[in-house]
Amino acid sequence: MTVFKAFWKILNKNKFIIIMYTAFLIGFGGFNMQTSENTTSYVATKPDILIVNYDEEKGITKDLIRYISDNSNIVDIADNEEARNDALFYRDVNYIIYIPENYNNDFMDGKNPKIDIKSTGDYQSSFAEMLVTRYVKVANIYQRMVKDEDELINKINDTLSKETEVEITSKLDTNGLSKAAFYYNFASYSILAALVYVIALILSSFKNKNIHKRTTVSKTHYRTINRQLLLSNCILSIILWLFYVVLSFILIGKVMFSTQGLMYLLNSFVFTMCATTMALLIGNLVTNKDAINGIVNVVALGSSFLCGAFVPMEWLPDSVLKIAHLLPTYYYISTNETLKTLEEFNFETLKPIITNMAIILGFAVLFMILSNVVSKKKRKIA
Amino acid sequence: MFRHNFKYALKTLFRNKTLIFWTFAFPIILGTFFNMAFSNIESSEKLSIIDIAIIENDEFKNNEIFKSVFENLSDENNKDRLFSTTYTSEDEAKQLLENKDIIGYLKIENNNPKVVFTTNGIDQTIFKYVTEEVTQTSEIIKNLSEEKIKQAISSGNFNVNYEEIYNRIVELTQNQDVELNNISNKKISYTMIEFYTLIAMACLYGGILGVVAINQNLANMSSKGKRVSVAPTSKIKVIVSSVLASYITQLIGIAILFVYTIFVLKVDYGDNLGLIICLAMAGSLAGLSMGTFVGTVFKANENAKTGIIISVTMLGCFLSGMMGITMKYIVDKNMPIINKLNPASMITDGFYSLYYYDTLDRYIFNIVSLLVFAFILITISYISIRRQKYDSI
Amino acid sequence: MNNIIEVKDLVKKYKEVKAIDNLSFEVHEGEILGLLGPNGSGKSTTINCILSLLNFSKGSIKIFGKEMKPDAYDIKAKIGVVFQDVAVFDELTVYENIDYFCGLYIKDKEVRKQYVEDAINLVGLEEFKKFYPKKLSGGLLRRLNIACGISHKPKLIFLDEPTVAVDPQSRNNILDGIKKLRDDGATIVYTTHYMEEVEILCDRVIILDKGKVLATGTTDELKELAKIEEKVTVEVNDIDPKYIEEVKKLKNVDDVIYTNNVLLITYKKGKNNLVDMIDYLKKESINYNKIYSERPTLNDVFLELTGKELRD
Repeated sequence: MTVFKAFWKILNKNKFIIIMYTAFLIGFGGFNMQTSENTTSYVATKPDILIVNYDEEKGITKDLIRYISDNSNIVDIADNEEARNDALFYRDVNYIIYIPENYNNDFMDGKNPKIDIKSTGDYQSSFAEMLVTRYVKVANIYQRMVKDEDELINKINDTLSKETEVEITSKLDTNGLSKAAFYYNFASYSILAALVYVIALILSSFKNKNIHKRTTVSKTHYRTINRQLLLSNCILSIILWLFYVVLSFILIGKVMFSTQGLMYLLNSFVFTMCATTMALLIGNLVTNKDAINGIVNVVALGSSFLCGAFVPMEWLPDSVLKIAHLLPTYYYISTNETLKTLEEFNFETLKPIITNMAIILGFAVLFMILSNVVSKKKRKIA
Repeated sequence: MFRHNFKYALKTLFRNKTLIFWTFAFPIILGTFFNMAFSNIESSEKLSIIDIAIIENDEFKNNEIFKSVFENLSDENNKDRLFSTTYTSEDEAKQLLENKDIIGYLKIENNNPKVVFTTNGIDQTIFKYVTEEVTQTSEIIKNLSEEKIKQAISSGNFNVNYEEIYNRIVELTQNQDVELNNISNKKISYTMIEFYTLIAMACLYGGILGVVAINQNLANMSSKGKRVSVAPTSKIKVIVSSVLASYITQLIGIAILFVYTIFVLKVDYGDNLGLIICLAMAGSLAGLSMGTFVGTVFKANENAKTGIIISVTMLGCFLSGMMGITMKYIVDKNMPIINKLNPASMITDGFYSLYYYDTLDRYIFNIVSLLVFAFILITISYISIRRQKYDSI
Repeated sequence: MNNIIEVKDLVKKYKEVKAIDNLSFEVHEGEILGLLGPNGSGKSTTINCILSLLNFSKGSIKIFGKEMKPDAYDIKAKIGVVFQDVAVFDELTVYENIDYFCGLYIKDKEVRKQYVEDAINLVGLEEFKKFYPKKLSGGLLRRLNIACGISHKPKLIFLDEPTVAVDPQSRNNILDGIKKLRDDGATIVYTTHYMEEVEILCDRVIILDKGKVLATGTTDELKELAKIEEKVTVEVNDIDPKYIEEVKKLKNVDDVIYTNNVLLITYKKGKNNLVDMIDYLKKESINYNKIYSERPTLNDVFLELTGKELRD
């Protein structure tokens, strides 16, 4: 039990690391998971638009602004061009519409005045452009026939108010599940970084040349020592996992009590075990404390960036995803992504998830074998 | 003396593997990860072809407008193509929807179009919007045709050519090209900010080199410093040459990072190489000054001081958008003072203004801020270095 | 005799605690002066004050007859210091380390090269020139530390506990090196809490405690301060208590203690005491296994002066 006690003492000295990575998780998790109402009825996606009106707010100008406002989120930006440009660059707005001076009069005179726009070029801005184009098109057509301003506006609105009926079939709380997926995806970084760092650091203390000599010559069998170390590491991992699970219940809430929520727990547990074995391997391979810090950063950041813990998987290039197949994190995250929209639970739908978990466990076994080989080789000091 | 110390200072810096890893290799590795993760983001945010299905019942087959519009928008040769459309039965469409092969389907029943989705989303919104557009266009044609015919009849013309009126109006609706004048800057790739914060991080990490230069030369910080203090040489001279060696090392690291990001990662820093170099040098100086400041003002060991530099750098980079680009914007918009004091943001914003803006006002403001920042910290460092005796060691 | 260092009425306070309390002493040219005292007695603080590293509250310090100041570079050029902590660069080899610190004093490259070689020879690191400090054992590291401090051939050398945690071989090497430096004409100030070293090495000793000088003199002079002059120890198998009373009455005997078959006899004055004792034992036909005589050590002196052991 001495090994066990020493383990927790060293851990206590390094608790700051765990606190730091947990803070990351809460910080970024919380930042990206601001609550939005979940609905199972249809809600249109609204682009963020800024309207800069140089005309008087009347007639067609006024109605155009009204139409755009109804179908988008109007963003309030400081009244100068630099602020607008910044807003566009940082995607605070997707689309800026500049209504020129005298637009209403020119339009009524049939001059078809040009509208300046600025666009981010993403799908939100494409949709914003559809809105503007649509309105101007309809207005142009009616303007040929109708000369009276009020009648014209009535006709335009009459036409534009025709809506298509929508039916939403899914009963899933997609919003909540997305939040859970985001949380657990990010947690892969915190779990990996914290575990590898702390475990490798503790192992390096035990593998320190002089301490290592002392434990090897002690009457305790090296296998007993290794077994106690392994046990301590597993307990540490389980505690960390439980801690993150409890945190997820607090942050995400009721979605976690569903079957999907249970699957998130199971998946993260399998991943935590795999991360533990990876930590053991790294701890056995590297004994220099400075080097551990560098390796942890590269391994944890690398697998998080490559496998979609930070940037959604669907946005990653295929070439990157191919490399990601070599990392356990990939299988963990792809299960999380599948769970997001999984509605029915049967063998067919669960097959990919089970396969992923089996692969993660395979990695764990591989890491275990490797770290045993390494630790056996290192038993004798060269 | 100056050269002797300079030579050895360079030697010790370049042989310190941990130092070289964090200041040289780490930014390059992180940059590579950024590149791998972000290279597709912006193109995946562009509107891509949306997979949909249409129930091919009789009503749809007879609705010329719907048919032609969706045919047109699904045409592979159309540069404004929006959809990839499958015409199928309702059962089949349901199956496709469940398998996520399509985002939704359209069914026209009793002259009433209806769309079915599993969830909400931008693709769904666009699909719905297009069907509405078709309905609205039919509405316009119907309205206008009726009006024209009414006008014709009331003007006494009973020999109305219905077909001609109808065709003219259809033509009218189709030939309405709305011209929008896009005046936005073509360079609007926001992932560049990630790489700018990376440069900022590398510049500020240079502070670690500054800490080393100070710590090994001050008697109250290290025993090596005591040696320097009892030697018959001016302490200031030794420190200046050590700090200079740190600066040179830092600039070499930054230069390597620039070469790598420009030629391998294809990062765009704007066109003016001279201004880019000036900014990198000013940024490095700010990082270095932070190092000398922490080195002289705090009395702690090298590890603790390095810890301070890393924490300050990461916080600064976080506020200037390294872990989420919007962060910088949120801070700039709501608490501008914070980023006006944050050297990471000055560097990031400097590169941003070179990349995005044609005018140099903002760039110059950032460069001046960096120089003022560096000047203040170096002055404080100088004052506390000048002290020659200590109350305790 | 020339005074190389003159310290007068030196007072150094850390807040309210007096670390050095009205300290005055001189260091003569060509001598090895030992500053002896337990940990925390103010040895290092004294040296740091002399070197102008620390501010002090009162007093004056002259080196080579001139007042010592932080920018007194002409004085500093003639001083070499070996600090208690090993102060070397991990990133530089043995040779480079010495060359670097030597370069802070000696500009001429050719001269410096020779000086560095000399220093390496002096401490016996010839085989380790290209080694990095991390590869050196504790003793070798100490030797490197010394070489870095004295490579510029200073006239005055301060050595602050240079033998802490050093193996016997390295210690002998270091002590021989220090003697050689003195023989080459340097004046040396040596602080330690190992009295054996002081006895072997130092021409003159200052005993410090709580920042005050307790006693000054050569080792022999200091030993005069101890009340006792000689200790004779006799290991016997068994002895009749009446003999103990008789021994107490013998000439010069101060006290007799008998414990565990060991008879410890202390003398106030010391001449022929051992011979007298052997004669007595023979006369009374007392069997003994061992008999030996000891002169008092500096520890005895320190014990006498402060009532506590030098090393706790």
